[in-house]
Amino acid sequence: MAKLGISSIHLTRVSIPLTMVHAGSMYVIQKTERTVVELILENGVTGLGETWGTPEVYALAQRFARDWLGRDALDRTALREATLGKSNHDNKSGRNGRATLAGLDLAAWDATARSLKMSLAELIGARRRESFDVVSTLPAAILPRVVSRKELTDHLDLLSNTRLVVDFALEQVRKSGFRSFKLKSAAHSPEWDWKLLNELCEAIPGARIRFDPNANYGAATATELCRRLDPLGLEFFEDPTGELEGIARLKAAVKTPVATNMWVVKDEHLVPAIRRQAVDVVLGDLCMWGGIDAWRRMARVAHAYGLKPALHSVYETGIATVANLHLASALAEVEYPNDSGLHFLSSDVLAEPQEVKDGAMRLPTGPGLGVTLDREKLNKLTLETSEIHR
Amino acid sequence: MALSRRVAAANLPMAAPVSIAHTHVHSLRLACGAEALVARVRIADGSDGFGFTLGMEAAVARDMAAWDALGRSKGVPLFALLGGPYRKRINLVKDDLSTIPPDWTALRKDVLAGRHELLRIDPFAWGSVEMVQTIAAVANAFDLSIVLLAPNAHSWEIQYCAALAATLKGGDTRIVVRSDPPFSSISVSERPGTGIDWSLEPSFSTIQWQN
Repeated sequence: MAKLGISSIHLTRVSIPLTMVHAGSMYVIQKTERTVVELILENGVTGLGETWGTPEVYALAQRFARDWLGRDALDRTALREATLGKSNHDNKSGRNGRATLAGLDLAAWDATARSLKMSLAELIGARRRESFDVVSTLPAAILPRVVSRKELTDHLDLLSNTRLVVDFALEQVRKSGFRSFKLKSAAHSPEWDWKLLNELCEAIPGARIRFDPNANYGAATATELCRRLDPLGLEFFEDPTGELEGIARLKAAVKTPVATNMWVVKDEHLVPAIRRQAVDVVLGDLCMWGGIDAWRRMARVAHAYGLKPALHSVYETGIATVANLHLASALAEVEYPNDSGLHFLSSDVLAEPQEVKDGAMRLPTGPGLGVTLDREKLNKLTLETSEIHR
Repeated sequence: MALSRRVAAANLPMAAPVSIAHTHVHSLRLACGAEALVARVRIADGSDGFGFTLGMEAAVARDMAAWDALGRSKGVPLFALLGGPYRKRINLVKDDLSTIPPDWTALRKDVLAGRHELLRIDPFAWGSVEMVQTIAAVANAFDLSIVLLAPNAHSWEIQYCAALAATLKGGDTRIVVRSDPPFSSISVSERPGTGIDWSLEPSFSTIQWQN
């Protein structure tokens, strides 16, 4: 096969309203902004990718895309080196650079898989599973609108409000059969979190619940809270505190597994985490890790040293959600359900609805990601677009 | 042929993402007098791939053949299926140092304990492309490079090591042989599949493959 030359790259920054307010310790939001990547090959095949939608990442994507024109999508190693350099020292763009690469990289993998008439999972390694359990996020609080931090903490001081979150979780069970949940925490009140988690475990027996305060509890408070929560048998504590040393000490004090998507997010974090026995689960985000090859290497290394790799997500469109499904399908090392926020988006950019049934999502069939863009939907969500071509 | 046997596809522990139609493994006397196991894997779309080993374990030959079949079916070299090449030319050197025994538990512990400066791997002993890729991921995380041994310095072995070495990150990656190398470096083949030149052994063309 001749090389798969890249002829043009289209970038679209979108803003998508969420169906409800999502609150955690880092944000109170009701929209998500993403960058959709269309990478067009000289053979006419288009690959889809997605990354963060911040203006910084969108600008980087335009710059990186110019460097990719004319290059070979079969050679993702060269594409990565053209973008971030040969070593971590060469990457002058930090986390935004890795996230930008991840979006373009996904589009290159998709275009390659479509050209080779393979599903993305097969190109990554194998198509081992046709469906995969996904996790429903539970906001730290159920709020009628985006509120200030002060209003949020007032809401959390009223402990009877935990019932609203429990009712919302039960609704997710009824609507989509979710078996796995991620409770976001505003890290304002250990009493709120302790009460709410107890109520959730009682209301949904057998549910897998992960608890995520995004490292906004201090190490001592987090350790004390997690010790109290230990008997609940939660799936894991996700970033109960920080940084790596703090989370390592907490892990040594509890029986529940400890996960991170904040302190082990790039190649050079992995070995220190292994040596320190700091975490049980590397909840890797495809964007933070810088694309499929980096994520796949992380999964292999984590698994080799007894850590469990799992897929993190925020509020992605169907493109990145389906990419995560392909990764989970391809890599036997992935055991935990995938994070997913797609069902909270008021609209998607894909033509094919990606539904959650019985708590799981099905892997699309067909080459590559197996999905197509819905141009009309995309246009309605668009903030800005750019077409990079020779 | 000293040996010809048919292997049930369902029993093959292959990592290559292909649907296997059937597999044959033959024993073949090479020009040098050594015996090789040569495998042919036919995948669902009718494409054939070939693999070999001068050792005793046929699984490595079948795994290689499955990847070769996939590459031939798609018209791309092995490195394109695995993400792209880190290099297109590999140095070949004489080296008498021992390789790491194929004991995954021991290797992981020793890497963690800092007992290796370089991972010396005989890919024919470790058994599969996926295993080599996993070792490569560990090597990358611990900032180690990999050296691949062509244990008998046979041309097929050197070509296969080159196909694998193309996909391994690390500045010290090279192929080692136990005798004076026939050449100082080898180009990575751009041919579909593993890129091994099977015509280098005339007896290969005499194999009666079963259909």
